[in-house]
Amino acid sequence: MDVVSPASLSQALALHAEGDSRFCAGGTALQLDWAKGLAKPARLINLARISELKRIEQSDSLARIGALATLAALLETSNLPGTHPLFHAALQQVAGPSIRNRVTLGGNMMGRTGCLLPALLVLRTKVQWLTHTGGLTGSVQDLLTASASKGILTRIDIDAQHPGERWLFRKIGLRAAFTPSVINVAARLLLGDRNEILEARLAVGGGIVPPARLPEAEVLLTGRPIETIDWAQVHDCLMATIEAPADAFRSSEYRRKVAANAFVHGLGGDLPGRRTFPVQTPPQPLDRPAGELALSRSARPEAWHQRPDVAPKVAGKLAYLTDARQPDMLVGRILRAGLPHARILSIDTSAAEALPGVMAVVTHRDIKGSNAFGIVVQDQPALCFDKVRYAGDAVAAVAAVDAETAERALSLIKVEYEALAPVTDPEAALLHDAPRIHESGNLQRELHFARGDVEKGFRRAAHIVEKIYVTPRQMHGFMETEGGYAFVDDHETLHMFAGGQHGARDCLQLSRILAIPEDKIRVVTSPTGGAFGGKDELTVQPALALLALKSRKPVRLQLSRAESMLAGQKRNPMSIRMKTAIDSEGRLVAQQVEVLAEAGAYASLGPGVLETALEHAAGPYNIENVRTHGRIAYTNNGVCGAFRGFGANQMTYAIECQMDKLARLCGLTASEIRQRNLRKPGMTGYLGQRVAPTERADEMLAAASHSPLWSLPQGLQPDGEWIIGTGLALNYQGNGLGSAVPDPAGGRISLSRHGSIEGGFGLDELGQGLLTLVKTTVANELGCGREDVEPVIGDTARAPDSGSTTASRGSYVVWASTKLAAPEFSRQMRAAAGCILERDPDTLALGKGGFFERGTNSGEILLRYRQLAEQLDDKDLPSVTVAYEFPKNEYTGGNARLIFAFGAALARVAISRVTGEVRVLDLHQHTAAGPVMDLAAYLGQIEGGALQGLGFTLTEDAPMRDGHYLTSNLDTYMLPGIQDAPQRMQSFALESLADGDIYGPRGVGELGIGAVTPAIANAVFAAIGHLPTVTPIPPETILAALEER
Amino acid sequence: MSYSISLTVNGDQRRVELDDPRVTLLDLLRERLDLTGTKKGCDRGQCGACTVLVDGRRVNSCLSLAVTLDGADITTIEGLADGDTLHPVQAAFIEHDGFQCGYCTPGQIMSAVGLISEGHAGEDPERVREGMSGNLCRCAAYHGITEAVIDATRRMAETSERKSA
Repeated sequence: MDVVSPASLSQALALHAEGDSRFCAGGTALQLDWAKGLAKPARLINLARISELKRIEQSDSLARIGALATLAALLETSNLPGTHPLFHAALQQVAGPSIRNRVTLGGNMMGRTGCLLPALLVLRTKVQWLTHTGGLTGSVQDLLTASASKGILTRIDIDAQHPGERWLFRKIGLRAAFTPSVINVAARLLLGDRNEILEARLAVGGGIVPPARLPEAEVLLTGRPIETIDWAQVHDCLMATIEAPADAFRSSEYRRKVAANAFVHGLGGDLPGRRTFPVQTPPQPLDRPAGELALSRSARPEAWHQRPDVAPKVAGKLAYLTDARQPDMLVGRILRAGLPHARILSIDTSAAEALPGVMAVVTHRDIKGSNAFGIVVQDQPALCFDKVRYAGDAVAAVAAVDAETAERALSLIKVEYEALAPVTDPEAALLHDAPRIHESGNLQRELHFARGDVEKGFRRAAHIVEKIYVTPRQMHGFMETEGGYAFVDDHETLHMFAGGQHGARDCLQLSRILAIPEDKIRVVTSPTGGAFGGKDELTVQPALALLALKSRKPVRLQLSRAESMLAGQKRNPMSIRMKTAIDSEGRLVAQQVEVLAEAGAYASLGPGVLETALEHAAGPYNIENVRTHGRIAYTNNGVCGAFRGFGANQMTYAIECQMDKLARLCGLTASEIRQRNLRKPGMTGYLGQRVAPTERADEMLAAASHSPLWSLPQGLQPDGEWIIGTGLALNYQGNGLGSAVPDPAGGRISLSRHGSIEGGFGLDELGQGLLTLVKTTVANELGCGREDVEPVIGDTARAPDSGSTTASRGSYVVWASTKLAAPEFSRQMRAAAGCILERDPDTLALGKGGFFERGTNSGEILLRYRQLAEQLDDKDLPSVTVAYEFPKNEYTGGNARLIFAFGAALARVAISRVTGEVRVLDLHQHTAAGPVMDLAAYLGQIEGGALQGLGFTLTEDAPMRDGHYLTSNLDTYMLPGIQDAPQRMQSFALESLADGDIYGPRGVGELGIGAVTPAIANAVFAAIGHLPTVTPIPPETILAALEER
Repeated sequence: MSYSISLTVNGDQRRVELDDPRVTLLDLLRERLDLTGTKKGCDRGQCGACTVLVDGRRVNSCLSLAVTLDGADITTIEGLADGDTLHPVQAAFIEHDGFQCGYCTPGQIMSAVGLISEGHAGEDPERVREGMSGNLCRCAAYHGITEAVIDATRRMAETSERKSA
């Protein structure tokens, strides 16, 4: 492709006449178009230098706009909001602010899908364009229908709106802002002296909706006084005449309905035919727990620590493992299957190997060890050999001198496949005649648990609620996609630098695949740009290792976002059928749970996710009679695995919604029914296992019952659109891997050669604040200064194995290891210092910068740590390593945790009667997870978990069809943006532990996500009497619930 | 075909030879000029991690073809601080803990600098959220980001008042 930048219009046209070419203005749509498969032209004619097309002239009656004026420039045109309010409103809704700095008005129009087109159709707009045969003038409609791609759009003239006219512009999207358009509506009503409609102009467009006026509805409106309009009739007419196709995310009917709603509500001021709902009664306040801390920096400034890595983070200098660049570094790329299920007949890499610049091509033939990995079940090939089981399966990999060569080489690898029928539904996967994805069959794991007599319990029931909760294939969406670099050193040690969550286990898994001893593999896993469970399993490491070993050169490899979506893990989709019964007193008497989870192509931690879900099946409640049954099935739909919450959040969604539904049936409030059923201190765990003595569900419920959110406005708002409701939910989250699996932990405190006190942990800094935690914990325990402590983490060569940075276990591991190691380390330090100072070690204490005399406030440093280190041989440097098992109970009947953290979430939500969207206005989270070690990190985890829970509930899913993802990038996968975040968030911590509780601070990595989904669902239930049982909550179902039946 | 463009990057004038006209500004920065502070999160203009200033305005560098930027003045995160003195937006992000993993942070900060100089948002939280809506943060440090931008806006306004007084 050739890019030319002509200086004049005539030159541009002449260049265009030469053949296959495309005009480009801001160029912001090019990458998206190309990613969608649109062919690249031989020549791109960049119009940016033609400055005459950038001019904006504005008077009271007219805006004359050059086609190359950017939307940002238009937004900055001072009088535009006064003369062209509709156009101004529309401009603000296009893409994001940075993109509006590049998008031009002409580009937005010529793309045919532009958000602005409906606005321009209802405004009086005249456009001019230039072709080889001369200039043309016409309407926007003319432009859209003409073969205008042959020319250049030059000018757009828009008449000012009339004072007093009624107008509307609204973009309906998939999230609050910076969203693709589902449908955009624009309307103007010109009114006469007696409020009669002189002229009506209505249009739709945006995204896949063809931009069009709506003449039938315009006729219905024109010529009548506005107060006599039959808006129900207008609505029917709009539903019948709007043309809007469906896509993977919204149906045609939804598009038409929300457009019709938006017109009727926006122009008529009301929505006829909608139900009204009584305003809920708030729960009675229970006894407020003492000592709850409202988390903010000012609440406890001494516990709010700046992250030790802040300076490089804000300077763009933090060396993420995907940022490494060296002159001799090769670039790696992975060949993906592209087919969801197929037998491999042959793989021919000869043409790729022959391509100049290609330094290594690897396939399964290069694997010397076991070509199977997986944290628990080793069923995933590093590079496929007999079959591919999902479209993202890795088949081969290439290392070349640059990315272009590597990509070209991939296209030269010939793989012959025999396509097999894909299994794309877990239910279908378990039918006896389903195609087998693995030799062992499609049922990956089946779990049963029963206690008491469920049938007897259900016979005692006064009320039974039975519902099926369906949860999404949520993507981790870490901003740094999977990647890193690797090389082999002169001593034949493989160095693997790739974002991860457990270096020692990555090392073990690589050792198995490569048949290299673990001590010849070093794995560095920090810093990592977000993980959330999605980097717990191996990602790029096998391919990267094979390429480095074969090429004998450093190789870097990072997945593009599209490849990450295709190949990376997601949350296991689940369907949870839950049947719950209460007696006439509102006491839970029986519960039956049936879970069907999807593993995707390989097990990874899916079986553990299922186990954890079932372990949380009763929520923090006491139920005498229970029976649970869970199955997880292989399919050819992508891969799934660990994700923050790990099954507990899905199950919490189900049980907490059941509680509100049951409360409604028996006339209790949300807090009353919970209070009657909560676990009590001293009880065994849900499975009958021993648990830590601290139970805080009671206190969490009491705190939530006092929330000021209950007294804020609820019900239908004066705008006639939004209905507000508030809901609560409790949760608890187990810490650690559980009783059934090994869960080794450990750490080291040592004096470094340079005199710093190292806190060595094989854990990872993923953004959660591990570095702060290490500094704080070690300094607090030893009495030294925070600046004396140097965390050494995420590197198998430098830090001992601490277990995984998952399962909310890191905080405990740092705290417990430090507690264990500190007394002996302090003794060694004081003994060594005592020797040098010729003093009794018992008279010395560790302090800020060095040793002080114990029991005095002299402030005199007797010996600095640096001075001590200088005087010791390497072997004499104090160092204490501890290793132990993460606390667990003796339970063998299943996987059961010992330590739990407790929480409650309150969501105050607004539901749109126009679009069916749910927005979270306020979110309060109460937590009880033991002492807060660092306020900033704790708060970050709670809020961060909450937003991922909000996404899970409202916007996030990666739908699939026939084994292929229907979304390939963040343009349709809707991570919550800043405007989706609640306007007001507040978190609280209750830090006390029960007497005799020796387990210290609990991890909060997962606590924040658990209760958010049911709190939102219960708030919707409170507001409109409809309990959403599918997430992300389909707005269609909300709209249906709002309509009169 | 080879293209030659001249760019000012963080104050340094550079002549850049491009053998491929499809190279985006982001790839030029990360792969050829060794400025890896600007991040690639999606390469489609959807996440904002690649935000830089072009002639003082924030843009998604992944959507800009480098050849179309001949003569432009580019500021990346690496060029924001004045020696050892942090830009007020950088300082505010630290003060308000406006990040966790930090991968989106360079884009957030550059976007905030752009937003403040555009001057629309002021200290109104909702307008700040609007103005930052093109930058995703999966760790969801949105609360801290909003406070950081408001705080930086205030400090920068005070500084410029002092200067003009």
